Amino acid sequence: MRQILLVANKYRVPVFPRGGGTGLAAACMPTMSGIILSLERMNKISIDKDNLMAEAEAGATLGDLIKAADEAGLFFPLHPGDEGAHIGGLIACNAGGVRAIKTGVMRNYVKGIEVVLPTGEILILGGKLVKNNAGYDLMQLIIGSEGTLGVVTKAWIRLQPRPQASATIIIPFEDRRKALEFVPKIFQIGVFPLAIEYVEKELVDQTAKILGMSWPCKEGKYHLMLILAESSEEALLLECEKLMDLCEKVGVLEPIIAERREEQANILKIRSEIYSALKNELIDILDTTVPPAKMADLIESVNKLAKKYETYIPAFGHAGDGNLHLHLMRKEGWSKDDYDRLRDEIYEKTIQLGGTITGEHGIGYVRRECFKKFVDRKALELMKEIKKAFDPNNILNPDKIFI
Amino acid sequence: MEIIVLIKQVPDIEKVRFDAEKGRIDRSSAPAETNPFDLNALEAAIQLKEKLGGSITVLSMGPKQAESSLRDALARGADKAILLTDGRFAGADTLATAYTLATAIKKLGRFDLIICGEKTVDGDTGQVGPEVAEFLGIPHVAYVSEIREVHQDKLLLISDMGDKYLVEVKLPALITVTKDLNTPRLPSLRDVLKARKKEIEVWNADALSDYGDLDGFGVKGSKTMVVKVVIPSEKGRKGIIFRGEDAAEKLLEVLRENRLVN
Ligand SMILES: Cc1cc2nc3c(=O)[nH]c(=O)nc-3n(C[C@H](O)[C@H](O)[C@H](O)COP(=O)(O)OP(=O)(O)OC[C@H]3O[C@@H](n4cnc5c(N)ncnc54)[C@H](O)[C@@H]3O)c2cc1C
Ligand SMILES: Cc1cc2nc3c(=O)[nH]c(=O)nc-3n(C[C@H](O)[C@H](O)[C@H](O)COP(=O)(O)OP(=O)(O)OC[C@H]3O[C@@H](n4cnc5c(N)ncnc54)[C@H](O)[C@@H]3O)c2cc1C
Repeated sequence: MRQILLVANKYRVPVFPRGGGTGLAAACMPTMSGIILSLERMNKISIDKDNLMAEAEAGATLGDLIKAADEAGLFFPLHPGDEGAHIGGLIACNAGGVRAIKTGVMRNYVKGIEVVLPTGEILILGGKLVKNNAGYDLMQLIIGSEGTLGVVTKAWIRLQPRPQASATIIIPFEDRRKALEFVPKIFQIGVFPLAIEYVEKELVDQTAKILGMSWPCKEGKYHLMLILAESSEEALLLECEKLMDLCEKVGVLEPIIAERREEQANILKIRSEIYSALKNELIDILDTTVPPAKMADLIESVNKLAKKYETYIPAFGHAGDGNLHLHLMRKEGWSKDDYDRLRDEIYEKTIQLGGTITGEHGIGYVRRECFKKFVDRKALELMKEIKKAFDPNNILNPDKIFI
Repeated sequence: MEIIVLIKQVPDIEKVRFDAEKGRIDRSSAPAETNPFDLNALEAAIQLKEKLGGSITVLSMGPKQAESSLRDALARGADKAILLTDGRFAGADTLATAYTLATAIKKLGRFDLIICGEKTVDGDTGQVGPEVAEFLGIPHVAYVSEIREVHQDKLLLISDMGDKYLVEVKLPALITVTKDLNTPRLPSLRDVLKARKKEIEVWNADALSDYGDLDGFGVKGSKTMVVKVVIPSEKGRKGIIFRGEDAAEKLLEVLRENRLVN
C-alpha cells in the first residue's frame, strides 16, 4: 500500500480507495483517471477474547466481523445496513445504523487504526486501548474522512459480550408527532434499547407484501420499533415492565412483542427492506439528523413542506438518534431544480432545529454543494487546511467532500 | 369449545450444532423455543375460541425449562398451562410420549378438540399427534392446512398430504396442522408481562397414576430404542472440468460411477 501511494504521490496520480462500494454518497466513485484501490483481499480478522477486541484488516466485511465475533461468543452491536460493506469503508464513513443508541457509532468502537498516508508514511494510531490522551486525536480525524486523508489498512475494534436475552417491541400510535415525542421519554425512564426505529404502517405493509411477509402490528399508522438486548431474561423483563408503565401513562395503542429469534428477524427484515419498496420511484434519500427531542418538530415541518409542494415524503429512521430518512419521490413534471428546492428547504429547517444535513451517509460526491452551502465558513477553511496537511498534492480521493 | 393444544419445546434448529462423534444434539449450542408448528396449532385454537368461545389448555411434556414455552402460549392467548415433568417421563420414544400426553388429557377431562403441530423440527417424526388420538380412541386428521367449516359437533378440513383432501371429522377429535393454516400473531407486551406472573400447573408421574399405567411412561414405556445416530456429513459441490476429445466419454464414466445415469 505504501509503495502504491509513494508512486502515486510522486507522479501525481489520483488514488480512489474503495471498500464494498455500498456507500450512499458516491464517495468511492472515481471522478478522473487514476488508481482504484481495492482492499478486498486484505480481509483477515482475529479476535482477542481477553480484551474484547477484534483486529480486522480493512477489506474484511461487516458480515465477516459479525460472524467472527459470534464464533468467539462475542457481539458487534452496530449494523449499518449492508453486510458487504468493508471495515475500511465503515470507518471512512463513520457508519451508524439501527443499533447505535446504546453505545454509539463506528467511532465509538474503533480503538486503533493502521493507516497509510497519501505521502507514503504508515501510522499506527491508538491501539487496544480504552483510554489514550497523547496529543491531538488523529485517529478520530481519519474516522469519517471518507477516504480523503489516508488509507485505512487495519483496525482494532471493540466488541461486547453477547446479550443473553432480546426482544423486539412495536408500539403503535395514531399520531406522527406523538410517536416521535415518545422517544425521549423512553430514555428518561432509563431504558436504552439497542435500536429505536420509526416506521409508517403504510410503508412497512407495502414492503412486507413485496417480500411475501406480513408486518405483525395491525393497529395505528405510526410505529416505533424497539430492539432490546440485555444480559439476562430478568433484566429484559425489567425493561419491558418500565416500558409498559410508560405506555400506560402516555396512552398509546397496544404494544406487541416478539421474543422468538425468527419472529424478531422477520420484523427487522421488513424494516431493512423498506428501501426496496420505494426505490423505483425514488429520487433522493436524505439522512437529516436533529437532536432526538426535535424529531417531532422536524417531521411537522416536513409534513407542511409535503403539502406545500403537493408531494409525498415517506419517512422512516433511527428515531433514537434523531436520524430521519426522508425520501424525495418522483413527481410528474418536476425537474432537478424542483427537487433541489424542496431538499434545501428541508435542510434549512433541519439546521434551524440544531441539526445536520447528514447524520450517517456523509458528504461524498453527491452532497458537496449542500455541504458548502450549509457548513460554517471557518470550519470549512480549517478542513481544507487539514486536507492539505495530509495530502499536499491532492491525490487521495479528489473531488470528494469539497467542491 | 374446549381445546387442548400440545406444545413441545425444541432447540432453535437454525443455530443448533450436532456433535457428530457422540451422535447427539448439543443442546447448549442453541436457545430453546416452541416448536414452530405448535404456534400454528395455538393460533388455530385462538381463532376458534374467538369464534365460538370456550377455553384453551396448553400441555407440554419436557424438562422444567419448557415452562417458558408454556408462558409464551399463555401470553398469546391460552387460558391454562400444564407441564408434565418427571425423571420417570424421560427417555421416552414417540409411543411413550403419546401415552403420557394421552393419560394427562384423560385427567383433564372433557374436551372437544386437540390440536398439534404437524411435526417437530428436532424429532421430526409427526407420530405423536396421531398416537395420542389412538390412545384416546378418537379420530384424527393430520396435515390440516385449512379449517373450512366449524360446527358444534364436527369440522370440515383440508388435509394436505401432498394432494389435498376434503375431510369431515366428528368431534371430539385431534388434528395436526401445517404452517399454511395461519400466521401466528404476536402477543401484546401487556399479556407477556401478565403471563410471567401466571401459575403453571406441574404434574409428575404420580399425578397421572389414577389415569394410566406408570410403566407406560419414559424409558420403560418405550418400545423402540436408539441404537445409533448417524449425522450425515455435509458435502459441498464439486466442480470438474473435462477437456479434450474424450471429455464426453469421461463425463459419462463419472456419471455412471455415481449412478446418475445407466
Ligand atoms: C442498504 C444500505 C443501508 C445502509 N444503511 C446505513 C445505515 O443505516 N447507517 C449508516 O451509517 N450507513 C448506512 N449505509 C451506508 C454505509 O455507511 C456504507 O455503505 C458503508 O459505510 C460503506 O462501506 P463500503 O466498504 O461499501 O465503502 P465504499 O462505498 O466502497 O466507500 C465509501 C467511502 O469509504 C472510503 N474507503 C473505503 N475503504 C477505505 C479504506 N480502507 N481506507 C480509507 N477509505 C476507504 C471510500 O474511498 C469512500 O470514500 C447503508 C448502505 C446500504 C447500501
Ligand atoms: C426411537 C426413539 C427414541 C427416543 N429416545 C429418546 C430419549 O431417550 N430421550 C429423549 O428425550 N427423547 C427421545 N426421543 C425423542 C422423543 O421421542 C421425541 O422427542 C418425542 O416423542 C416427540 O417426538 P417428535 O419430536 O418426533 O414429535 P412429533 O411427533 O413430530 O410431534 C408432533 C406434535 O406432537 C406434539 N408433541 C410432540 N412431543 C410433545 C411433547 N413432549 N409435549 C407436548 N406435545 C408434544 C406437538 O404438538 C408436535 O407438534 C426418542 C425418539 C425416538 C423415535
